Amino acid sequence: MRLLIVEDETLLAAQIDKFLREADFVVDVASDGEEGLYYAREYGYDAAVLDLGLPKLDGIGLIEILRREENTVPVLILTARGDWRDKVTGLEAGADDYLTKPFHMEELLARLKVLIRRAAGYASAVIEQGPLRLDTLRKEVRVEGAPVELTAFEYRMLEYLAMNPSRVVSKAELTDRLYEQDFDRDSNVIEVFIGRLRRKLDPDGRLKPIRTIRGQGYRFVLAPSQESTG
Amino acid sequence: MRRIPVLRMGLQARLLLIAAVVLGACLGTVGWVLDRSFHGAMLAGAEEQLRTVAYGLLGAAKERDGGLVFDTELGEPRLSQPDSGLYAYVDAAGGAAIWRSPSMVASGDIAGRLPLPRRPAPGESFFGIAESADVNSAAERFVLAYTVIWEAVGGIEMTFWVLADSHPYRRQIAAFRRNIAIGLASAAAIFVAIQFAALRWGLTPLRRMADRIRDLEAGARTDIGQDYPRELFGLARNLNRFIAYEKANRERYRRAMDDLAHSLKTPLAVLKNAMRELNGQQAGVFDEQVQRMETTVAHQLSRAAAVRTAMPTDSIAVLPVAARIARALARAYAEKPIKVELAERPAGGKSHLTVRVDERDLMEMLGNLIENGFKYTRTRVRITATCPGPGSVQIAIEDDGDGIVPDKRQLVLRRGARADTATAGQGIGLAVVLELAEVYDGRLQIGDSDLGGAALRLDLPTDTG
Repeated sequence: MRLLIVEDETLLAAQIDKFLREADFVVDVASDGEEGLYYAREYGYDAAVLDLGLPKLDGIGLIEILRREENTVPVLILTARGDWRDKVTGLEAGADDYLTKPFHMEELLARLKVLIRRAAGYASAVIEQGPLRLDTLRKEVRVEGAPVELTAFEYRMLEYLAMNPSRVVSKAELTDRLYEQDFDRDSNVIEVFIGRLRRKLDPDGRLKPIRTIRGQGYRFVLAPSQESTG
Repeated sequence: MRRIPVLRMGLQARLLLIAAVVLGACLGTVGWVLDRSFHGAMLAGAEEQLRTVAYGLLGAAKERDGGLVFDTELGEPRLSQPDSGLYAYVDAAGGAAIWRSPSMVASGDIAGRLPLPRRPAPGESFFGIAESADVNSAAERFVLAYTVIWEAVGGIEMTFWVLADSHPYRRQIAAFRRNIAIGLASAAAIFVAIQFAALRWGLTPLRRMADRIRDLEAGARTDIGQDYPRELFGLARNLNRFIAYEKANRERYRRAMDDLAHSLKTPLAVLKNAMRELNGQQAGVFDEQVQRMETTVAHQLSRAAAVRTAMPTDSIAVLPVAARIARALARAYAEKPIKVELAERPAGGKSHLTVRVDERDLMEMLGNLIENGFKYTRTRVRITATCPGPGSVQIAIEDDGDGIVPDKRQLVLRRGARADTATAGQGIGLAVVLELAEVYDGRLQIGDSDLGGAALRLDLPTDTG
């Protein structure tokens, strides 16, 4: 999952960056509104954290531009003022949630996860797709009730696919969302990880949770299975 | 402190009262002077008339046989006509009657005694008023007495008395007085009407100013305008400047508070996060202190920003603000299927219930309360604005959550409640609402809702009336 942080306070931005990276997110940090807008236009993000008081282009203005451009990235605004007018204006402009400074990193993380999940259409922290059960809080994966051991990267990849079900996700998109910008896009590491994920989730080739759409990418399809043990 | 009623009188009433007093005094004096003059002129006229009759009698008197005889033609027909109201007689100094006019035939009362206290000395005349001697007749008469010594009739001293009923004169005086009274009263009425109209016209700018100040208080205007006459222009300009200055000051103050909040809270956020790296006892101390600073900043800043100013705040419709917040919050709580019900019962044909609270402070209070509802509800949040009594609007925010147990109610409202003693986000929020409400002489009560959860009732001042 790739996140955009737009925060002019460098120390705070660095802390958020560090914390979210430790939580296995790919993070880009912009220090003013214009830079934030550039990043948001250039890359696809799963969620964005915007400070409202930003230099050059303030948070509200940034959200308005993004929404006008039909960018639906879930946005969480950070307000230092705790002023309700700011919160309401931000939400009206198109933000999806707000957090008042000072905040606990854990709370920020929890809110971001809710936003990402909500954007994917899941109300609960636990995604159940047929025989697959993905607990996004515990980062726990079960297939037909049996726990599946995944590496951090494998988990992130599965979570991203599960958050975008029944949609073709290109290799480039996966690279974008799961790696830093300077990642070598030509390498076949994505294919390797998809292969591993398939083997771990579906060792006997019964479920076929990840389909390869030739020339386009991958699709996560898991219809409610009759074979599900529940 | 009791005020004397006259101090509460309006300017127009005062000016009218003064005009009425001055007018009354002037017209009264004019009436009195006119009355006196007319009265004097009437008396002088009466005296002149009686004197003419007396001289006529003198001229008509003829000596005959050592006495006096009068022509039958007396020159004044009323003397010959009985009880005509004009009488004359001549008597000697000793009191013996010498002659009586025919008009005196039936008036037996006159000759009985002197109509005047004394008879004038020879060669002199005297004019006065005499009451009738007859108790049955209320007649009052003018009397002219003229004493002569008639050499030809043995140097006898005799007095000519001429009496005239004063009725005709009195009647004229009364008629005159009536006319004067009617005339002066009409003049007074016209004058008062003109004065009233003039005052109204003259005081129009003041009234306009007063109306606009009222509108200003009601939030319908932002200044009192400039269209005033020269005398008020300076006052209006200064007032406008003061209002603008006050508003700008308030804004500046708010901005300063915002900046202060921003510049304090961001470092606090950094500190708070940096402390995650710390371990041991030190971390506990830091964490507690930062927590305290955070609470203090949140509290004191929201309180300081809400200081009510001397200028009246605008009237704001409650429900649209509540609806706006609820709509925005529904976005943030999209994963919770919350049904928001909004209702109000405005009184007296108004479209919305309004409160006299700064819009920002209202948002702050409603924001915290409605967020509280969203946070703790299961499925429903009900926001109701009612008018429980004059001058007050009550906004109730109810939910169907678990409610707040009575023991905890005081705690969540406690001023400066430490964040670690109350549920984070709830304690501070509601305490801030309470403090803001108190700035406006409002209050916040926590109760139970028939929805099953908490009912937070916020009372705020509204326009009286």
